[in-house]
Order: sequence, then structure tokens, then C-alpha cells
Amino acid sequence: MTLHRKMLADLGVLAGLAGFTIWYLLDAWKASASAENLILIVPIAAIVLLLCLLDLFTQLKKGVTDDHRNREPVASILPVMGLFAAYVLSLEWLGFDLGTVLFVGGFLLLQGERRWVWVLGYSLCFGFLVALFFANMLPYPMPMALLPTDY
Amino acid sequence: MIDFAAAADALSLLFSSATPWLVVVPGILIGLIFGAVPGLQISMAMAIFLPMTLYMDFMQAMLFLTAIFTGGSFGSGVPAILMNIPGTSSAIATAFDGYPMARKGEHNQALGLALGSSSFGVLLGYLILFALIQPISGLVLKLGPAEMFAVILWGMTLIASLSGTHMVKGLIAGMVGLLVGTIGFSEAGMLRGTLGNEYLLDGVPVIPAMMGMFAASELLRLVNTPYLVENEAARKVNIRLIVKGFFQAFRYPTVLLRGSVIGVFVGAVPGVGSSVSNLLSYIETKRRDANPDSFGQGNPKGVVASESANSTSEAGSMATLLALGIPGGGATAVMLAAFAMHNITGGPQFIREETDVVYAIIFANFGQVILLMALALMFLPMLANVVKVPMRYLIPSVLALAVFGSFGLTGNIAGPMTVLIFAVIGWLFRRYNYSVPAAVIGILLGSMAESSLLHTYQISGGELSYVLDRPVTILILCLLALSLFGNKLMKLMTARRAAKAEA
Repeated sequence: MTLHRKMLADLGVLAGLAGFTIWYLLDAWKASASAENLILIVPIAAIVLLLCLLDLFTQLKKGVTDDHRNREPVASILPVMGLFAAYVLSLEWLGFDLGTVLFVGGFLLLQGERRWVWVLGYSLCFGFLVALFFANMLPYPMPMALLPTDY
Repeated sequence: MIDFAAAADALSLLFSSATPWLVVVPGILIGLIFGAVPGLQISMAMAIFLPMTLYMDFMQAMLFLTAIFTGGSFGSGVPAILMNIPGTSSAIATAFDGYPMARKGEHNQALGLALGSSSFGVLLGYLILFALIQPISGLVLKLGPAEMFAVILWGMTLIASLSGTHMVKGLIAGMVGLLVGTIGFSEAGMLRGTLGNEYLLDGVPVIPAMMGMFAASELLRLVNTPYLVENEAARKVNIRLIVKGFFQAFRYPTVLLRGSVIGVFVGAVPGVGSSVSNLLSYIETKRRDANPDSFGQGNPKGVVASESANSTSEAGSMATLLALGIPGGGATAVMLAAFAMHNITGGPQFIREETDVVYAIIFANFGQVILLMALALMFLPMLANVVKVPMRYLIPSVLALAVFGSFGLTGNIAGPMTVLIFAVIGWLFRRYNYSVPAAVIGILLGSMAESSLLHTYQISGGELSYVLDRPVTILILCLLALSLFGNKLMKLMTARRAAKAEA
């Protein structure tokens, strides 16, 4: 990533936060413009926007410092993030038991584990034992594919 | 202040038979497990086991529930140190230095430090409670919404100072967090920021958001790391080092005492309590230290500051429960239910008429500390083995545990979805140097800040003079200003003095 693109990414996050603040302020205003509704939101939103402006000027003035500490390679993180997103989004129809087994197994394969006994053994044991434990401990029914949904 | 006859009665109540003590060991173990497993909460443990107290007398029920509380308070620091997942909001600051210590291979010492400071904190907290229960309850009665808002503001402002060179970004993160914390129905009945999503009517689920921002985002960052502790030789689990860490905590008596005093008094503030006390203690310790830059890099004093404050907060919250019948948080709310189940109402009358029972609860906690030390020393070596697990196994396991735990907290898919969304936000925040703790504290305190500000406005009728008539608010605001500008003022004065001396 060039310095220019890094700066754009930094500014993108800043714009996202400022954008959220403006949207939330307008949404709250639309709900009611009374002091009771906006007593905290207006001053805090104003402070956020001022701070965003201050940070924008600082970034434009100083340029982006090349801080390597927090810059891990995105290419290796995005697939993991995608797998985690797929796991969470499919939980309701895959169930916590099968979903967890597939997520753990998929993660192990993605991270280079090639010993099939370990991949299958660990994901099956972990997925079903944890699902069984939580299903017993929690007072609500949990979506499951193979285990009973309620105890 | 101390009723010695009641104290003698309390001792005979506790030690005339072994029956009350039978429930303490299981209570501590339950607390340790629920505190140490990410997603399980101390209040959840107490709620699950509350029906069992129906078959106990009041004294035994209280011992059982306070044992869960004590075990859980310490237990929540364990995942904060080993996995950067604070088991509860009261262990957030424990992760700041505990986790870097673990990553440096000092996990044994960090766990020992946490145990030492927690044990000391519980002990001192209940000692303060024993001596000062009546004055503390009197003080709590003087706290109104204005004081609560001042305490929240204090915590919020100080947290931004942890961001070091990125203070503006820290403040932005904290303030945006505060806004996120107000999403959903306001106290005035207005619906804000839900995008029509019914899961957000009660607001963003705070603990799943915290799990996503702290744990999941950190785990995503570590996908290329083979082990939590990279140096193989440092991965050993060593009981000797845990014990050494335990005693090392007492090498920082000022940090311990400061944390305990902050913990007991801030912990007594209903609702805010331990969530803020651990941060205040951490920040004050960092501010006063000769080498503040070492904090966040694995400074043992950071762990001591946080753990001494959050464990003492237990005594503070018990003060408000016993003396006023006001629960300070989820755990004490369950205890209040136990009070009701035994036809007992907390409050000044309870303290006056049942002083021996109150003292017995306090004395029982001294015994619980000793049992906690023994049980924790047995269990910590087992828990510390987590550093030997390869990250490719640890990451999916912890992520899955966070997903299960978050479902347990919300009872629907909103919990896991919150973990996912805030994991991505947390990862972006870390990558672009926005303070994750500041954002989490903001989310945690957002709705409380709004309602305390609204109540202040309603009581005062919008008159600023109302605040000037409240000495405690002014004191907290002065402390806030002192914490923010004290160091700069001192430096300025020293520079002036030096300039005068030269002239």
C-alpha cells in the first residue's frame, strides 16, 4: 500500500465516523427535537465533529506517519473475517452445533492444518461439546442441526 | 462506628457450626468458572443458582452468593490476561497490561499479580466496609444524577488520555462510543438509530459489543501468529512463578492502596461502580508513575491497579445493597432478589437491627479470600496452559466461545451479530489507532450518561446554580480537572520555579 492509499484509508475511517455521527444526530432530531431527547446527543455529536475536523487538518498537515505496529497484512485477515462472518450469518439455519464444527474445521484448513484426524477430531469434539454445554447452561432454546434445541 | 457486641455475635453465627461454610467452596468454584469463560457472567451464575438458595437459610444464601461474586470478580481477570477478553467490564483495565505480559511470556506472574491484588482488594474492601458501612451509606444517599454524570465524565475523559500520541482519535472513539450507547429507546420514549431493527430497541448489546471489539478484533489481528507467546521457552506454566507474582503484588503497596480506596468508594456508586473504578485506578497509577510509557506494554503495576480496584468494588456495591437496598449492578440485583426470597429488606433499618448478620457477611468474606487463594492457586496452572495451544486452534475456539456466550446474553442471534460487527469495527479501530477501550467504555456508559444528565436537567430546571450547590459534584469535577491538568500544572510550576532560581 502506498503512503497515499494509507492516508486515504485513514481519512476513510474518519469520514465513516463523522458520517455516522451526522446520520445519528439527524435520526435523533427526526425522532424528536425536544431537549429531553437531544440533551446528550447534540453536544457529544458537536464535539465529535469538531474533533474530526481537527484530526483531518492534523492529518493533512502532517501527512500519514508510517506506523507499522498496527498494519498486519490484510490479505491473510480478510479470508478469516469472511469465514467468521459466514459462521455467524449461517448460525440460524446451520445450527450452533454443525455451524461451529464447520467453522472450526474450516479455520484449521485455512490456517494450514493438513492432519485430517486433527481437523475432524478437534472440530467435532469442540463443536459438539461446547454446544452441549451451552445448551444445558442457557435458559433459552438454541438453534441446532443435530443436537436437541432445548434441555 | 463499630458495634463490638454485634461483631462477637457475628463470629458465633459463623463459627458455631460448619454448615454456612459448606456452600462457600462450590460458590467460589462456580464464580471462577463463570468469570473465566468468556461470555458467561457473574450475574448469570448467580441467577442460575439463585433458586438453590431457597433451601438455605439467609446467612448461608448470602455466603453462597458472595462466594460466587468473589470467585467471579477474580475469574473475569483470567481471560483478560490470557486472551485479552475481559470477562466483565470491571476487568477491562486488567487486559491493558495483563495481556501484553502474557504475550511476553510473563503469564504466570500476571495471573499471580491478579490473584494477589484481588485477594488484597477484597480483604481491604470488606475491612473498610466493616469500619465505615454507615458513613459510606450516608455518602451514597448524597449521590444524585449530577454526581453520577460527573463520575461518568471523569472516567470517559481520562480513558482518552490512555491513547498517548493519538489523544484526539481516543476522544473521537470514546465520544462515538457514547453515541452508540444511546441507540434505542431513550428514557423519554424516543426511538433513535435503530434503522427499524427490533433487536436494537433496547440498544446495542453492550457485552457482545465489548467481546467483539476487544477479543474478536484482537484475534483477527493474530491470525499470522503461531502462539500467543512466541518464545517457546517462555510458554512454561510454573506454579512457582504464579506464587512469585502473587507476592510481587505487595511490592506496590501504594498502587494497591490507591486502587482499593478508589474501588470501594467508586464501587459504591450504583450502576457505574466497578466498570469505572478499575479504569480510574489504572489511569491514576499510570499518571503518577515515573515511567508512564511502560503502561500498556506489560507493566505489572497496571494489573495491580486494575485488580485491586475491581475486587474492592465488590465491597462498595455490597455497602449500597446492605445499607440502602440499592443494587449497584447485575450481581447485587440478584442478591436483592435473594433478600426478597428470605423476606429481608436492605436499608438503614436492616443495618441497625441485623448488625450481627451484616458483620457476619463481612467476616465471611475474609474467610472466602483465603479459600479463593487456595482454589485459584490450584486452578490457575491449568488455565495458564492456554499459552501452549497453537493460535490456529485457539482463535476459532475463542471466537466460537464468544459467539455462544453472546447468544447466552441476548437469547437471540443479535448477540453473535453484534460480536461480528464490532469485531470488524474493533479491527479497523486498532489498525487506524482509535482507542478500543475508550469506545467500549463509551458504549457501556452511554445510556447511563444520558439518563443522569436528563435527570439533572429535570431536577435543576436547567439552572446551572444547582451544580454549584452540590459539593460532591464539584469535588468530582475538581478531581477530573486535576487528573487532566494536574501534571501539566506541576510541570509549569516546576519550570517557573527553576526559571526564578536561575534568575
